[in-house]
Amino acid sequence: MSDKSLLRLLQAPAIILLLLWMLIPLGMTLYFSFIRYVLNSLRRPEWTTPSLSNWRGFGNYEYVMYKSKDFWFAVQNSVFIVGCILILTVVLGLAIAMLINRQFPGRGVVRVLLISPFFVMPAVNAVLWINMILDPVLGLNGLAVESFNQTIKSLHDFPVLGTFFSMWPEFKPVSFRSTQTSAYAVVIMVAWQWTPFAVLIFMTSLQSEDQQQKEAAILDGANKWSQFRNLTLPHLARPIAIVIMIQSIFHLSLYAEIEIVSRGNGNKNLPYLIGEFTSNNIGAASATGIFAVILANIVAIFLLRMVGKSLMD
Amino acid sequence: MAVVTETTKFGKIFWPVLAWIVALTFFFPIFWMVFTSFKTDADSVKPEYLFVFKPTLENYINMTDNYDYWRFALNSLITASFATTFALFVGVPCAYVMAFNPTRRTKDILLWMLSTKMLPAAAVLYPMTFLTKNFLNIFDTHFLIILVLCLINLPIVIWMLFTYFKEIPKEILEAGKMDGANTWGEIKDILLPLAWGGLASTALLCFIFCWNEAYWTVRLTTTDAATLSKLIEGNRAPEGLFFGRLSAVSTAAVGPIVVLGWFCQKQLVQGLTFGAVK
Repeated sequence: MSDKSLLRLLQAPAIILLLLWMLIPLGMTLYFSFIRYVLNSLRRPEWTTPSLSNWRGFGNYEYVMYKSKDFWFAVQNSVFIVGCILILTVVLGLAIAMLINRQFPGRGVVRVLLISPFFVMPAVNAVLWINMILDPVLGLNGLAVESFNQTIKSLHDFPVLGTFFSMWPEFKPVSFRSTQTSAYAVVIMVAWQWTPFAVLIFMTSLQSEDQQQKEAAILDGANKWSQFRNLTLPHLARPIAIVIMIQSIFHLSLYAEIEIVSRGNGNKNLPYLIGEFTSNNIGAASATGIFAVILANIVAIFLLRMVGKSLMD
Repeated sequence: MAVVTETTKFGKIFWPVLAWIVALTFFFPIFWMVFTSFKTDADSVKPEYLFVFKPTLENYINMTDNYDYWRFALNSLITASFATTFALFVGVPCAYVMAFNPTRRTKDILLWMLSTKMLPAAAVLYPMTFLTKNFLNIFDTHFLIILVLCLINLPIVIWMLFTYFKEIPKEILEAGKMDGANTWGEIKDILLPLAWGGLASTALLCFIFCWNEAYWTVRLTTTDAATLSKLIEGNRAPEGLFFGRLSAVSTAAVGPIVVLGWFCQKQLVQGLTFGAVK
């Protein structure tokens, strides 16, 4: 066997596997998105088997976009959730990375404590937060508000100040089970899990910052803020962009958290909506799936450009 | 290394203390989960036992009865380790060729591999269910979960290996070739011993991702191949009655992985940013 064909052979399994993995399911989704295909139909049993004679053209896409009431809400909600998570993780990540980028006792332990949330499995993350921390009655959220109200109440009998505290309204804990608030709950738990990732990347990058440049800036009398603005931030531009891209890709397909936190309360994103459609209307599920692919690709193109550039050097 | 050294006395005390507070805050939910796992179910919802209580191991002892933990854990272990092994078997030769004998197309292939990772899983949910249930009859089998976990992590594995291999000087391999080593000998005797560290951390990270995967393992299993993700997902709403036992099983599910994760922080950066951040 010649050298060249051997090299091809070594690469082949990985490429063929990934090619099949990408083409077959995606091809089927594309096909299903153009036909009428439902799992159960007493009226039109012919729709329950996929076949070309049930061709619907762009009908599924139209149905999803204009007739199903949840699609635009799901798109909006997907973008909202991803956007909030990105802002939180990047800002917190920057602040924390700057904070721990210094010598102090126990730095190693601090790093270990900080990175831990990233390795918690998503299902546990969601169950832990929604039940034990954010629950308005039994979670720490409920307990904290309750004990705060109790404290205020016990102050009612205080002379003079008591009249002031008796006018204090009784607080109600926020419930994270409604449509809107459960989106916040998802944002909180995912941001908790992914801030460590941002911190880790920013820290790695901070360590390669040009120290001489910084010393020169200090000699020139630059203050801390302008050092950060003019030296550190440009240096971190690429890591920030990468954190944003990678997180967008992961969070656009967020599923476990939504499923656990929001099942049945109306808070849904695109993957969750696809899951709902899949229980019967496969055509609509596939059309929604294609939309999700398009949305992810818009983000992916930017990422590939960035990574592609770094691959050159 | 660009590490800030504080000059003022205030800064020397204030920033480290703040750093510790932030770190402890981030760790608190995990601490709270472990803490609660030592309370009985009854105690775990009583405010008077919030911090002071009689610790008990009963949640851990009863884990098998309550949740059948070990069956799910074994499934997680089997699927994650086999998927990692397969991913390495397929990934190492591919990364070897790409790193040491690149062609004009290598860069495109690498980027294309990355792009498969960006395919939203939900988009192909029904085709996967359809194929595996009605067509191939492998729904809810270990084989299927191993295959899927291997495929979704293969791009990351190849990328990580590629970045590690690229750092090995080509001359070492060429010297081996001079001595009459064939390709297989080159990989086995020269490359693998040199890249041992990179290989280990790739495997570790791949294992962690497999263990934590929560889409396909939930949607493509029912009972036989159900992993820990599926177990926890199935107990999503304990209605407050079982916080103790739920914490125990959650701790057992994430504990080993969090500890493993501590050992591969550096690799995580390289693996997840595809070598673009150094």
